[in-house]
Amino acid sequence: MASLACPRCLRRSLQDLETTATAIRPQRAAFSTSPSLSANPPKKKAVVAKPSTRQGSALRLTKNTRATNTRPPAVGERKELRKKVVLSNTNALEVLGLNDLSKENLSSDALHALEAKVMGFGDTSVDRLRALKAFKPTQGWNLFRRPASLVRKETTHLLGDIEWVEAGQGSRTVRKVLYGERGSGKSVLQLQALAMASLKGWFVIHIPEAMDLTIAHTSYQPVTTPGGPTRYAQAHFACKLLRNIRDANNHLLSNLRISGEHDIPGQLKPGASLLGLVDVGVKEPARAWPVWQILWEELTLPSAQSKGGPRPPIMFTMDGIDHIMRLSAYLNAEAQPIHAHDLLLPRHFIELLSGRETLPNGGMVLGAVSESNRAASHTLDHALARNEAIQNELTPPAWDPWVKYDKNVQDAMEGVGVQRLQGLSKEEARGIMEYYARSGLIRKAVTSGLISEAWTLAGGGIIGEIEKGTVKARV
Amino acid sequence: MPPTITPLPVLRQCTLRPRATILRPSNAVIGVKRPACRSFADDKSKDLPKAESGESGPNMQQQEHVSEEAAKMAKIQGGQGPDIEGQGTPVQEILKNEKDTRQTAPKVMKEQAKQEGNATKPGTRPFSTLARRRAEVTPTTSSPGDAALDSSMLPTAEQQARHDAAVDASSNLQPAPEESKGHKFPLPTMPLPSNLRKDYRYDPVVNQVTNLLMQDGKKSVAQRNMATILTILRTAPAPTYSEARPLLPGAPPASHLPLNPTLYLTLAVDSVAPLLRIRSQRGAAGGGVALQIPVPLGLRQRRRQAFEWILDAAVKRKSRGSGNDMFAQKVAEELIAVIEGRSSVWEKRQGVHRLGTAARANLNHRAVTGRR
Repeated sequence: MASLACPRCLRRSLQDLETTATAIRPQRAAFSTSPSLSANPPKKKAVVAKPSTRQGSALRLTKNTRATNTRPPAVGERKELRKKVVLSNTNALEVLGLNDLSKENLSSDALHALEAKVMGFGDTSVDRLRALKAFKPTQGWNLFRRPASLVRKETTHLLGDIEWVEAGQGSRTVRKVLYGERGSGKSVLQLQALAMASLKGWFVIHIPEAMDLTIAHTSYQPVTTPGGPTRYAQAHFACKLLRNIRDANNHLLSNLRISGEHDIPGQLKPGASLLGLVDVGVKEPARAWPVWQILWEELTLPSAQSKGGPRPPIMFTMDGIDHIMRLSAYLNAEAQPIHAHDLLLPRHFIELLSGRETLPNGGMVLGAVSESNRAASHTLDHALARNEAIQNELTPPAWDPWVKYDKNVQDAMEGVGVQRLQGLSKEEARGIMEYYARSGLIRKAVTSGLISEAWTLAGGGIIGEIEKGTVKARV
Repeated sequence: MPPTITPLPVLRQCTLRPRATILRPSNAVIGVKRPACRSFADDKSKDLPKAESGESGPNMQQQEHVSEEAAKMAKIQGGQGPDIEGQGTPVQEILKNEKDTRQTAPKVMKEQAKQEGNATKPGTRPFSTLARRRAEVTPTTSSPGDAALDSSMLPTAEQQARHDAAVDASSNLQPAPEESKGHKFPLPTMPLPSNLRKDYRYDPVVNQVTNLLMQDGKKSVAQRNMATILTILRTAPAPTYSEARPLLPGAPPASHLPLNPTLYLTLAVDSVAPLLRIRSQRGAAGGGVALQIPVPLGLRQRRRQAFEWILDAAVKRKSRGSGNDMFAQKVAEELIAVIEGRSSVWEKRQGVHRLGTAARANLNHRAVTGRR
């Protein structure tokens, strides 16, 4: 690429990074003043060369020739096919009497009565969750007629947290990390939290894979703070995140107005809607990070002070949080690995999770550990065990003096609530298995014997394993 | 709480029991009469033991015939037992055995015997299957987006009642019967169904196909591929049957297949399974030409051949995506193509059958029959 400024100091134009080769336009010499209106030079008659008897040095057999009558796949097309999220199976039976999660049944009492039942997501919820990339291709949504999830005990607890935050009129924040065995429903619980918060009119932000932020697959750029350490902004990731946020919170952003004085890039009027502000960041990756900062400043204005309408509480979630609790794969100018907490976007989440930065309008910061693609972070493991013990009023395990812990992670996890997800109860297992049967995916009668068997074989009701053992079984 | 194990029944059920005393000359007791029989340890003398007059000797106390015993029991209980005296030999049997009687038998019986003698000609059937075949091929007219099910998928009232009864029976598990103390849960009914045994827990077709999918002995990879294939069959749109390629008779409507992927797989494999293979016997035809002999295949052999053809066709497909599941994707697409009659496997099957028809004349060849 021609627009590289300096390959050493990492200060380079962000314009052409992470764009496909097809997007690069052919460049013309800058010093020419004459318009290029001349006709194309006449074509010379091509000299037809005799086909030589030897073509290349490789041995050519008839077997080697490939018939390429089809178009080769475009860049990223095959991966897109693999990562496609399908939310419907037209073969599955429509479950009669499947109710949706809605504003009416979003109270602790109402939801408590619906425990161990499966609830669908309404069309608006599905669109918002899809925009946030909260559905994952591995989660088996493609087996059922429409997206639905089991209301479990933990779901009701989360709704209780949301209600507790709302009751505090903006002074309360819940900071939590979900962990538990693989397939125990951490990501889906996060999805339920996002759906419920969105229905309650909260501003929802979701980072579906923290791994994408730290494996050095997206651009980064140093940002020097006066007198402080160097931090790194990830402009292209921020741009994508802003797009997801805009699509999921369109109804809120269009109603909120900019109230403070900002050095707004572009031609935004002072009283413009926040949607216009986000659009600036979505269009230009170079401006995505400043736009993110301004957006955050606007959203966290105390509602009493803001001129642009009352600010909603914020639900900020991140999946695979273990990936940002260690060194990242990025290198600094000295070719030393950069700690994930020095990357500005993960840092922002960590500041909120640890409570160093507050949410003046209230909200919830919810992280989830990934077990299927686990990053090694022994400090996080120990911190989770400690916090769990403290929460249950047990003696917390001491920090081992002979082990080198990550100070950043230790500080970040201080006082953070943890919730361990375990297997379903038998009633919940019955609820989900009856839903499978009514969708036509279990062909046997759902009896207590079958439920006990599936529950036991699934390691005590690990929901992912129940699904694997019943719906996806090779019977 | 009563004790779980009572000592008495245990003693009674004990397998170690004292052996019955054998009375020998060595341990003879005065006053106890020896029975007139030889035990296994007695001397093997020529003279057999004889019973005293009035006593019963060996082989004299034979068990009665079942019907005789039943008749006696019925007499004791004042009922009517089986008729012992009246039971005679059936006429047909007599006719079969005695030549003279056969000649003098009534005309009706002669004709009946003649009809039983010659069975129907092999290879012909007295009824036509054309109408049934047509009914199978006719596509169902339900649209895929229709929320309501087509009526054939809904159970009848009788089926529903039977199903409900079965559910009720199995969900309210009976408490353990009194005599089987010590079992927390009721014992299963014996013999166990085949899918409860670990070696036969999967459907036989799924089992065989999984093994055929396996490469380099990696069974777990093959199992994952199998699971992916079944999931794709579940989620792909219902196939449309083709009239040109009739599937096995008795195939369900196409809309039923996605919800029963095992049946889908079985139907695809069994429908293209060849009935025979061609064995080439070298030099049998003379002049160095191999003699082609059709050989019938067994069920597993037929399935194996069919799935190998499907695999060959699937490997040649072009994968559109990337990742681990592409192989499974291609196999699943080929299976759907088989059901829809688009697959090239059908031609292979047809080719083998045509060859077999042509080569059936060779079955009379002396190299095959062994006759000169």
